[in-house]
Amino acid sequence: MTAFGDIAQTTIDGVAAGALYALFALGFTMIFGVIRRANLAYGSSVMLGLYVATLAWMTFDISIVLCFAIASAVAIAAGLYVQMLCFPSRAADRQQPNDAHRLMVSVAASFAVWMQLEELATLNMPAHLYPFPALAGDAVIELVGLSIRSDALIVLVSALAVCAALYLTLYRTRFGLGIRATVDLPRAASVVGINVSGVFRKAFVIAAIVGTIGAFVACATAEQLTPKLGMWLTLKAMLAMMVGGLGSLRGAVVAGVALGVLEAHVQRHFGPQLRDASTYLVLFAVLAWRAWRPGAATQFGVGVLGGRGVR
Amino acid sequence: MSDALVAVLTNISLVSFLALSAYLLLLAGEVSFGQQAFFGIGAYSAGIATAMHGWGLPSAVLIAAAAGAAAAVLVACATIKLRGMYFAMATLAAAELMRIGFAELTIQQVKHGELVGPNGVEGFRGIRWIFEAGLEPPQFLLIVYALLATVVGLLILLERSPMGVQIRMIGEDEQLASVQGIAVVKTKLLVVAASGALAAIGGALYAHHNTYIEPSNFSVMLGVHALSYALIGGLATAFGPLLGALLDVGLLEGTRVFAQYRMIVFGGLVALLLLWRPRGILDEPLVHAWCRRLRRARQGV
Repeated sequence: MTAFGDIAQTTIDGVAAGALYALFALGFTMIFGVIRRANLAYGSSVMLGLYVATLAWMTFDISIVLCFAIASAVAIAAGLYVQMLCFPSRAADRQQPNDAHRLMVSVAASFAVWMQLEELATLNMPAHLYPFPALAGDAVIELVGLSIRSDALIVLVSALAVCAALYLTLYRTRFGLGIRATVDLPRAASVVGINVSGVFRKAFVIAAIVGTIGAFVACATAEQLTPKLGMWLTLKAMLAMMVGGLGSLRGAVVAGVALGVLEAHVQRHFGPQLRDASTYLVLFAVLAWRAWRPGAATQFGVGVLGGRGVR
Repeated sequence: MSDALVAVLTNISLVSFLALSAYLLLLAGEVSFGQQAFFGIGAYSAGIATAMHGWGLPSAVLIAAAAGAAAAVLVACATIKLRGMYFAMATLAAAELMRIGFAELTIQQVKHGELVGPNGVEGFRGIRWIFEAGLEPPQFLLIVYALLATVVGLLILLERSPMGVQIRMIGEDEQLASVQGIAVVKTKLLVVAASGALAAIGGALYAHHNTYIEPSNFSVMLGVHALSYALIGGLATAFGPLLGALLDVGLLEGTRVFAQYRMIVFGGLVALLLLWRPRGILDEPLVHAWCRRLRRARQGV
């Protein structure tokens, strides 16, 4: 293969991995945009759904569609549980006027629930590895000398579909308008009759579905499920969200794909150890650059694409 | 004292150092996901000092504290202006980079006919100063608790000093504090240095207690556990983080009342507790009320 072909092939693989990061980051950003706090239990709530789904698949040999439905349903239930316990409503914020305090409490509470959900999954299914239903097998599509696994194609298509659906929901429906209004000014939103705590719940439901789509496709591609999924998902989502700018949906997608491409190239040339290092290095560099840029960093809106709220 | 009890008590105190280092940063209003890296730096540098260069434990702990403080300040040079979520993520990135660095760290030398020193992902074996010095586990336990008591005493003194008040003011409202003439960046750098040193002291003792360390010991899980100990225990006094560590490691892990359901029970309890007391069990109103009562009782006599 030519040098150019090599670069193109690595980039394609990277985009497929990055599309998954973008999906994780979209779900995470959805929650962050609405509640302005980091939900560390996000990955574990999605993972719990996949565990239940694969358990059902192994026991009853159900179809992959039903499998997905079960995973989503459990993830939604777990997400709502996390919301109830850790992020009740903005009413609780009045006791905690300081942003740093709010971050502290939400970090500790959602971390505790993360541990709880992860234990719930791994206690009932203690093996290190579980099989997961495959989506499309190992068919490879050849295109002008480049090969694309059919799985990767499914990843890309589902990521695009989720982005389009999310965009249409947020910007073309009254429901989405309610969410965006709550993000911008929660008090004004409640004055004009938007059910703010309802919007909180809806954000968690949307995030659970988006996250499950991403994680489901990831596991189906690898045809396996490990207990490390929860932490991996939360970390990648947070990384992409931070690099893309807190609360910016567009930024989350761009940063997710960019990180995927970067990781693929670094792994191709320097190995897996440096792949992980490269992501953290980029995050650290972006944050340090923002911190020392003239016009000091504010609490929100300092990623690469900036942005405040769900935009 | 049974061996198991000694082991549990030692574990509580070791993680308490890390919880105290997270607590110090929380006072200044910052959440760090990265204190475990300085714990790791302390562990590695003290291990290298005793196992490879034949130093004693006291000087190894000192050098570890210095290395931890230096590394923390170095990281903070880039991140000190960040706040909230940004600071938390920057510390996480730095800590993960350092952990990957530990996995690349291989400096071995032959000593007494065997290879000692950090060996990449294989870890660092044979940090045996405690055995070579002839210390029994209960004796080591006493040393660790004496150090912990000193640290807690110093922290209480710090909090009663003007410096401590300034740190809390920064934690409440950084802008207001700077308007009042407090040197925010300088004070925060000092806090960061102290917290790095505290974490490193814990790490140094951990390495000698375990005799074996590896990069995966210092993952983000360790740091977030310590952070939540500080938050659960309470942010009013330095006893808070100790209480948090005692509750989790001591009560739940040590006694095994809930057996394998420990994390499920603990997680739920913590989330409920934080709904009810967002500043932890020993929060400011509670501790201040106790102090008032104590003062009144003293005046009554």
